[in-house]
Amino acid sequence: MIFVKRIYEWIEVRLGVKELVAKELTGYLLPRNINFWYSMGSIILFIFAVQVVTGMLLLVYYVPDADKAFSSVTAIMNRVPFGWLIRTCHAIGSSMMVLFLLLHMLSVMFMGSYKRPRELNWLSGFILFTLVQVICLTGYLLPWSQLSFWATTVATNSIGAIPLVGQFIVEFLRGGKLVGPPTLGRFFTLHVAVIPVLIASVVGVHLFFLERIGVSTPPFGLDNTKNRWRGDAFRYDEHTGGIPFFPNYILQDMTSIAIYFTLFAAVVFFCPGIFFPNDAFIQANPFQTPAHIKPEWYFLANYQTLKLFPNEFIGLSIQGAAMTFLALLPFIDWGNEKHPLKRPLFMVCAIGGILLYIGLSIWGHYS
Amino acid sequence: MKLERESMNNLLTCISLALLVVCIVKPVAAADVSARDEIVCIRCHGAQPGRLGEPVKLWRESIHAANGIACNNCHGGDPKDAVNAMSPARGFLGAPKETAIPAFCGRCHVGVAKDYLSSAHGRALGKGGPTCVTCHGNHLVVKATLDIINEKKCSACHDYERARTIKDAMQQTEGLIVSIGGRIDSFKGEGVDTDRLEKGLFSVRNRFHTLFHNVDVGMVKQESARINTELNSIAGSLDKIDEQRKKRKLAGAAVVGGALLAALVFYLLRKSYD
Repeated sequence: MIFVKRIYEWIEVRLGVKELVAKELTGYLLPRNINFWYSMGSIILFIFAVQVVTGMLLLVYYVPDADKAFSSVTAIMNRVPFGWLIRTCHAIGSSMMVLFLLLHMLSVMFMGSYKRPRELNWLSGFILFTLVQVICLTGYLLPWSQLSFWATTVATNSIGAIPLVGQFIVEFLRGGKLVGPPTLGRFFTLHVAVIPVLIASVVGVHLFFLERIGVSTPPFGLDNTKNRWRGDAFRYDEHTGGIPFFPNYILQDMTSIAIYFTLFAAVVFFCPGIFFPNDAFIQANPFQTPAHIKPEWYFLANYQTLKLFPNEFIGLSIQGAAMTFLALLPFIDWGNEKHPLKRPLFMVCAIGGILLYIGLSIWGHYS
Repeated sequence: MKLERESMNNLLTCISLALLVVCIVKPVAAADVSARDEIVCIRCHGAQPGRLGEPVKLWRESIHAANGIACNNCHGGDPKDAVNAMSPARGFLGAPKETAIPAFCGRCHVGVAKDYLSSAHGRALGKGGPTCVTCHGNHLVVKATLDIINEKKCSACHDYERARTIKDAMQQTEGLIVSIGGRIDSFKGEGVDTDRLEKGLFSVRNRFHTLFHNVDVGMVKQESARINTELNSIAGSLDKIDEQRKKRKLAGAAVVGGALLAALVFYLLRKSYD
């Protein structure tokens, strides 16, 4: 016991752990009306950690070679001890990450948390969302199944609609005119080396902004739901009299993570095929186009939207413009009101938009 | 003025929300890849009415179409050159004469052609006996099952009783093959490596199908029993996979239960601090 105490004191005099704990954990105060939706970020961090660990384990047996990729994934699923569990967790985890990022973004929008001075939080979060979609897309090719091969063919094809440089970008991404072994090499590098590092870096930046500016106050349960920021000088958004991050809110985070894990485990063990159509387990055959290749669920609305336009470039342009608009939302929306019920037009459009998104996804699935 | 600005802000927020949910980031694929590049035979005949267009309609529903076997795979010719598509110089064969049909189909179905030719049906070829297309059809070729042996088809040429006896003897085996095939497909769709089982079933099914052309009741019964034993062995392997799945589900129930319990404990702990 004395030995442990001496180690603690040795560290304490060098790092000031007591002060750090007081500042970042027990003394880190959050608004009293903080809610469940504020733990979405922790859930996403947990999912990211699971993805990294399962991804590393998959790397032990996965072979990024067009001739061996499919058989290596088959071996992981059938012969490697607990390989099925690791691969299923990784594949389902990717969909969960997109789902919870969507929920996180929507909660931020509904609670007006993107409003100044948190424009940079929004921007970094938006970049993270895009990077997660890119990592999902690149990971989709790696099993080298019919689904992987043809979904990547279709996805990269659409970039060719960009005038002048489109074809060059397509060939650059594919490493040739068609999806083939060089594409697998490129996507593998992006998936396991480039994008994870980028995501980890942007997560760091996102958390730095959060730490520097402070947690936003939810607009619920307050009389004054206007944005408190004055804009004359930098001020940390303090929550005097608020609840401490440790142990109070960390227990909320743990509760949310455990609830998420229940849902995740239920999908992994009881309906693991929910995100896997049959083509996901047939080896890629460049000479046989499957009848119905559809993108992952989170791209179905895009897929259907693009199908509605007669010209692919117009569809791409509209989506590009929408993306830019959305990324710059905090710079466009200067309103001070944060409560969604005091923004009736916002509510109507938000609910309409969600229904439209679900409708387009269902249409895309059955079209 | 302030209200106007607020409304404008609301409007902008709403538009962006709607765009978020509609467009959800990056553009993805739009092209529908289901439309296959059609060969000239289909492009030309498919558009024609009556006798000339009929084969295309029938073929589209056939097992040949499902497996990517197109017109030129049987009839030869050049499927990419509309002008010379039906040129004998490009290997066009057209429709075979009645006596040439078994050899025509037998280019691919080698074993089946051999079985047919040694059967009573094959020996009657050219003497009023049936050819491949009599039972299997020509363009609407469907997967060979016992349903092909039926009163309507058989009694067109002879009494159905003998065929019925053979069909009854094979019925159980056929049912087993269909059921095992379905189970294998289902496991395959879940990522199970079914390669060995598929090959085993393929081999057994082919052996079984050779009996379809046999009219020796005793031999059919004997061979069916032998095939049943092999099928039971494949079914045993599938049962083991089923067993493994059940164990996984049990483990899953424990994990889900544990996670729920953890959630409850964390929740109660949090409440105790409130």
